[in-house]
Parts: sequence; C-alpha cells; structure tokens
Amino acid sequence: MVSRALGRGGLMAILVAYTAFAGFPFLWVGTMSLRTTTEIAYNHYGWPSPAHWAKFRAAWIDSAFNTYFTNSATVVIGSVAVITLVGAAAAHCLARYRFRGNRLVYFILFSSIILPPQIVLIAVYQTLVEYNLYDTLWGLGLVYVSLQLPLTIYLLEGFFARIPQDLFDAAKVDGYGDFEIFFRLVLPVGMPAIATTVILNFILLWNEFLFAVVLISDDELRTLPVGIQRFMGDHFQDIGMIATGVMISVLPVIVVYAFFSEKLIQGMTAGAVK
Amino acid sequence: MATVQLESVSKSYGNGPLAVDSVDLSIADGEFMVLLGPSGCGKSTTLRMIAGIESITSGQLSIDGRVVNNVPARDRDIAMVFQSYALYPHMTVADNLAFGLRRRSVPKPEIARRVREVSDLLGLAPYLARKPSALSGGQRQRVALGRAMVREPQVFLFDEPLSNLDAALRVNTRNELIRQHHRLGSTMIYVTHDQVEAMTMGNRVCVMNAGRVVQIGSPLEVYWNPADTFVARFLGSPPMNLLELPASTATSGTGDWCRASNENATVPLTLWHPATLAPYAGKQMIIGVRAEDLRLGPPAETTSTGRLGWLHGRIDAIEPLGAETLVLVSANGTEVTARLGRDVSARVGEAVTLSFDAAAVHLFDPVTTKAIARER
Amino acid sequence: MPGQVASGPSAWRRLFQPGTGGDTSGASWLVLLLFLGPALLVFGAMIAYPMARTIYDSFFTIDDPDKPVWIGLANYVTLAGDETFRRAVLNTLIWSVAAPVLDVGVGLLLALCLFAKVPFTRFLRIAWFTPVLLSYVVVAIVWLWLYNYDWGIVNVMFRAVGLGGLASAWLGNPHLALGSLIFIDVWKWAGFNMVVCLAAIHSLPSEVLEAAELDNCGWGGKLRFVIVPLLRPTLLNLYILAFVAKMKVFDLVWIMTQGGPLWSTETVSTYVYKRAFAWNTFDLGYPATIASVWFGVVIVTVLLLNRLLRSRERVEF
Repeated sequence: MVSRALGRGGLMAILVAYTAFAGFPFLWVGTMSLRTTTEIAYNHYGWPSPAHWAKFRAAWIDSAFNTYFTNSATVVIGSVAVITLVGAAAAHCLARYRFRGNRLVYFILFSSIILPPQIVLIAVYQTLVEYNLYDTLWGLGLVYVSLQLPLTIYLLEGFFARIPQDLFDAAKVDGYGDFEIFFRLVLPVGMPAIATTVILNFILLWNEFLFAVVLISDDELRTLPVGIQRFMGDHFQDIGMIATGVMISVLPVIVVYAFFSEKLIQGMTAGAVK
Repeated sequence: MATVQLESVSKSYGNGPLAVDSVDLSIADGEFMVLLGPSGCGKSTTLRMIAGIESITSGQLSIDGRVVNNVPARDRDIAMVFQSYALYPHMTVADNLAFGLRRRSVPKPEIARRVREVSDLLGLAPYLARKPSALSGGQRQRVALGRAMVREPQVFLFDEPLSNLDAALRVNTRNELIRQHHRLGSTMIYVTHDQVEAMTMGNRVCVMNAGRVVQIGSPLEVYWNPADTFVARFLGSPPMNLLELPASTATSGTGDWCRASNENATVPLTLWHPATLAPYAGKQMIIGVRAEDLRLGPPAETTSTGRLGWLHGRIDAIEPLGAETLVLVSANGTEVTARLGRDVSARVGEAVTLSFDAAAVHLFDPVTTKAIARER
Repeated sequence: MPGQVASGPSAWRRLFQPGTGGDTSGASWLVLLLFLGPALLVFGAMIAYPMARTIYDSFFTIDDPDKPVWIGLANYVTLAGDETFRRAVLNTLIWSVAAPVLDVGVGLLLALCLFAKVPFTRFLRIAWFTPVLLSYVVVAIVWLWLYNYDWGIVNVMFRAVGLGGLASAWLGNPHLALGSLIFIDVWKWAGFNMVVCLAAIHSLPSEVLEAAELDNCGWGGKLRFVIVPLLRPTLLNLYILAFVAKMKVFDLVWIMTQGGPLWSTETVSTYVYKRAFAWNTFDLGYPATIASVWFGVVIVTVLLLNRLLRSRERVEF
C-alpha cells in the first residue's frame, strides 16, 4: 500500500514537472511581453507589474507587426483555401473513379510527402524569379499550395474512400452529375476530414519559415516568422519588444487552440494516426 | 409507368467471367418483378444496369420502348431504394426527400406538396427536421422508400431493401410495400435473396444463378414447377428433398409403368410416359419431393397400383416448430426432411417409412439437372 | 503513412491497375481532368519540375542565372571532398537517428503516465501538446533566452542548486551545441508523439490488458510484453515520420546557431541555404548538387528503413 502511494506520488511529481517544463517557456515569454526591456534586465523572472499593454500597440504599429500579420493571414488563408479545394477534388477523383493509372498517380503524390522541401528550394527560387513571382505573396502562396497538397490529398483520399458507394449511386439516380455530387455530397459529408486538414495546413503554413525567408525580400511583404526573426536580428537587445512580437505571432494559434483544442490536436496528428 | 425490356444483357468486369450472362427479361407495365437468387448470382448487377449506375457490356436495355443503354441514370426516370438506404447523412429527412426533385427543377410549392403527401403516407411527418442518424432502422427505411416515391418515377428499383431490418419490421414493411404497389400501380423491380419476400410480393419471380436466368414465372408456378434442381432447392423452406434412384420399367395389369427404386425406396413415375423415360432406363435419376408431401407411415394402399411411393429410413432429429414438426430422416445416406403435423409420436433413432403421392414427384435429368416435364 | 512505401512485385503491379473506387460507369476523361488536373498541374510545376531542374542544375555553374556554364560532374567531385558537407551530413544523420528515439520514447512514457488514470488528463494532454503548435522561429527565440549564459533559466537553475560548474554556454560550445538543439526538438515534439501513443493505447483491446493483469504482470512487464509489442506499428510509424521530418531540419538551426560554432550544428539544409543565398559565392549550381545528392540519400534511407523495420515485423508476427 505504502509503495503504491509512493508510486502514485512519484507519478504526480513527474506530471507536475513535465507540465512546468512544457508550459514554462511559453508563460515566461507571456510575462516578458508585458514588461519593458529595462524591467526585464533588472529581473528576468519577475511578474509584470504594472502590465504594459501598450507594448502590443507599439509592436503592432511601430514595429510593423501589423504588416507581417496581414501578410501571413493573406498568404496562409489564401493558400489553405486553394489547397482544400484542389486537394479535395483530386482526393475525390482518386477515391471514387476507376481509371488506368489511378494508383500510379496516388503513389507518386504519396511518395512526394517524404521529400524534404529544400531539395526543390533552389529551382523553385529560380522559377519564381523567371516568372516574376519572386518577392510576391502570390509566388509564396503558390509554393505553400504545393508544399501541403500531397499530404492533404493523402488524408482526404483515405476519408473519402470510406464514404459508401451507395450514396453516390443514390445521388446519380436522383439526377445529380459528377460536379454536383462533389459539391453537394462529397464536400458536406467529408467536412470532418476537411476541417482536420484545414487546421493542419493552417498551423504548418502559419509557422513556415524556410520558403518565406528565401522567396520574400521586401520588408513590406514579410510574413510573421520572418518578420520576428528580422526584428530580432535588428534589435537583439530589445528582449521585451521581441517577446511582444512573439506573442502577437502566437496569439491566433492560441485563440484557435483555446476553442478547438481537440479538433486541432486531431488535425496536427492526422498524418500519424491511421 | 413503363415496361422494361432486357435483351441478352451481359456484364463483365475486365477479363473475368461474365457477372451477368445474356439475361432476357421482359417486365410488363405495372408489374412487380422479383429478381431472386443467392448472393453473387448477378441479380444486383442486373438491377444496377437497369438503374444506369453500372454500364452494360453487351445486349440491349429499353425502358418504355426506348433503348437506354447509353442514357445516364438521371435521365432514365427511375428511382432506387438501396439496402443500406443511402440516405444523405448531412441532410434532414425533408431535404433527403426533396433532393431528387430540386435537381429536376420541380417548382417549390409542388416539391413541398409532394414531400408532405409522401411523409404523411409513410408516417414520416414528425421526423422531417431530423437527420438520418437520429432515426431508427425502420424509419430510415421509410425515408429511403419515401425518397423514391416523391419522385413519382416510371420504374421503382429495390435492392434488398429489407435485409437490414429485424424480423417483425421486415414483415410490416413488406406489407407496406405491397400496399404501395397496389396504390401506385407502378412498375417495380425488386432484388432479394429471401424466398419469402419473393413468394409474397412478386407478380412474377425471376430466379437467377451464376449470372444466368434460370426460371421466370409466377411465385407458385416457380414453386410447384421448378425448372431445375437449383430452383427446387432454392425455393421452399425446407428445400425440396432430392433422391438419386435408378429408373426401371415394371409391368402390371394396367400396362407398363416406370419407377425409380432400390431396396429402401420406391418412387412411382406415373406422371411420365414410359416412352419418355425409356432412354433413362437403368440410370440414376434425381427425384424431388417437397417436405410437405411426405407422410409418416407405410402407404395404405398397395404399391402395385403405382399411386404411392415410399422410402425407409431412420429418424435423425425431430424439430417441433409449434404449428408443425420437421422430421429429419436419413435414408440410405440421403437426408430427407418431412414437414408433418404438430403431433409426431415417433422418436429419434426409430426406423420409419415415409410415403407420398405419385403426383408430388418431380423428376430431374441426372446430367443437366433440368426438370423433365410432367406429361399426365 | 509516408513511411510505408509499397514494396514487392504485387504492389508494383497494383499501381498500374485502376483504382479501388466503386465508380465503374466510365466517367469521361474531361471529368477526371477537371478533378485531378489542378492538383497535377501544381504537382508538375512546383514539385516535379523543380526536382528535375535541381538535378539538371547540378551539372552547371550558375553565377549568372541567364548564363549557366556546363561543368559536367565537377560539382560532384568538389562535393566529395567537401569537409563541411560531410560534417553537415553527419550532424543531420545524428539528429535524424537520435531525436526520433527520444521524441517517441518520451512521448510513449508521457502517454503511459496519462493512461494510468491520473486526474486532469484532458488538461495535461492539451498543455503538453502546446509546444507542437509554436513555430520553430518562436521556439528558437525562446530557447535562445532559456540557454542564455548569464540569465537563462537553465544556468540559473544549475547555480541555484549549487551546480554552478555545470552552467555552460550551451550554444557556444561546439561539443554541446548539437545536443542542446536536439533537446529543444524533443521538447517541441514529445507532446505530438504522446497524443498519438495515447490514442493507440486507448485503442488496444482492453481484454489484452486485463489478461495481463490476471497474469499478475507488473507495470514493467505489461509495458515490455504487452503494450510495446502491440504498439509496435504505431511506434514505427512515428519513428519514420520523425526521421523524415528531422532530415529537413532548418529553422531551429538557422535562427539559433546558423550552423555554428565551427560547423558543429551545420545541417544539410542550412548548408544548402548558405551556399545558395547567404554566402557571396553567387553560384546556384553547387547547392543544387548538394540538394540532388541529399535527395538520393533521403530516398535510399527511407526505403532502407522501411525494408529493415518491415522485415523485422514480418519475422516477429
């Protein structure tokens, strides 16, 4: 009994310790985002009193985080929308229609999931330069679409293939054509899976750094991850303001997480749980 | 309202054997036609070809005199009820009912009227706002039926619509369907592997096996005059008893007559001319007798008149079913089932004689297994 | 799963057959094209073409993008003698092999803790998952501070418990830098593996665990003889997934150490990036060569790993 209680206590200690380990860094940045750099230099682990909420305003406007935020939102929302539509159409086609080469296309798309994206980095850069898409959000969005499309198709195909064939036959007998079936049957019925991929793509692209740093050079067009990184490079000492910028970039994710934590976890792990 | 005509319609997948092998079938206007057969016999594929959701490899399909081989499903004016119901899970019952009408640009008030009419008729009115997931199996089935009915199509197709229901509900829905057929008077094609459904619902039954049509006829015709041993065994519960006995010719005062017999059984073949059976003399014939035609006890009259047949055996099992009793008798290695009254005094293990009237005998060719037509 | 590449002759033959979908009524090519076309276009233009172009580029010196100069295999010869590249490959492989073991191992242990019916499971699951959501940029900045020599929490804690001698320049010391980065990676991804393992444990047939209970199996025994063998497919999947992800690692290194000090944290990705965009060498041919070679390495390792892990699986089950 004693050993059992001891084991229980040990377990609880581990849980508390790991929770602190996982959560502390984030909470710490949270406190720093509300303190001035001078206050932080005096004591790095102090509580924000008074809380300098004005710092968020300063970062948002004076340090151009509003621009970064808008750019990120534009390019991520735009590409996620395109990925979802294009990916769902392709996934439906691969899941539902029998045609020669179906599995070959599936296999090629599926294999490209494992490719490290930096393999194509240089050629993508060259291509975008040639088509005058370098240093534009259009170009970055196009690259983002290609980055997440294979995984999206893979996940959606798995789900769509499980929709019973009878539903499609019923819709056909009810008088619906191929495209109406896609928009009025596949998309609504596949909504849970589509929501999962939307969340997954949103998070991954919101955090994307490599292509953003290579394909965008104009400060006015930078996305949040690159914006913060550049800000940190320029104001290495201004820890307080960097922390505020970090919080601004994390906030959308945290807000979504607060409301849809289960769905979000499901989305993030969708590729692994099968 | 329409006729449906299949002329040597076949279906093959890739290079495999034919899933449906030149089916000829002519369904009259307003007829309730049942396609009956074991799973994999091609009955569902045939139905799906009629629906237009499966392409026709060869042959010709016409609905109401129009060849529709290459007409897409949506332009055939048919409605189909699926085994899995195939209700749209993201729509309410009302939307499920209206879905097919909206596509056909039926005016809104007309859609509303028809949905109300059908939902009243099927008792669906209280559930119109619900999603299919909130309905019971029987309710879903009715929605599936309603979805077909609001369309007021030329032809109704049913693909084993009752097999997901429990027994009591199945009987209710069966009667409901028969009632709707009488009310609508539409052409209906109904696929099932359940012989009770086939017997009770169909104007005619088309029995299929291994992709081919074996027999078409009214339910009783198919039951009492099976075209071959397959139909004989497939229809009827318990299935028809089949015995293999050598045929021979005997002479008595009334002239020549044929029989099939060995030391344990004698089957008079008085329904056939001796001349017809002459080629079979000495060969093993397949004899069929329905379980309800067997009686317990030796024949009262003498067998020399040729009126009654008999067989000896030992009782393997007795299954009292309440209203009747099934007695399983093992006769020379062949299992024979007799359907007897509710009181059976015999015991398991007892040696018994079963007798039957010569008029109850079916005769099948031992090689082709086809029935040899009765002649008297 | 990305890791499960089809293998064997039958799998290859299956590729050339029609799909498993049920629609046999012969959809027109136009319909197929409209559904599949956009995806194939994106794939062709943004994945297949760049990949082919990268390999093509690797045979050129491209100082001026408009005038590539054919140099044959010269880049490959140079690469074979490139010490920095060798170092980068070694670091990346260390990272790819070691980090997934820790990721999956810690994730499994955390999942087991949560499976042991502790209170607040839901909260803990959500809390532990949080690092997964943070971008590498954010993670890198925060850990730069946490690793700070003077006031970073790591050194502060060592000094507080009287182990001031262990306080180090975690990212400045060539012997510690790579390990320090991998530690951060594990911190970020353990929660992800925890969630997947937890889901897998919950989907285990409860009778098996109960049977183990009846056999008087302790926690250790249950873990070793029941849970881990049953979770084997999931754990392998996670491992391969993590392995592939680590072969791409860039953001964390680039922001925290830029590959330094003394190439101790250089990875293939950072080296490609440096040679292409950061150094003033103005040649896209050589980094394209690195990328092409790395492409081959990734394919071979994934196939090898797949074969290795799979064949063992076949022997054991």
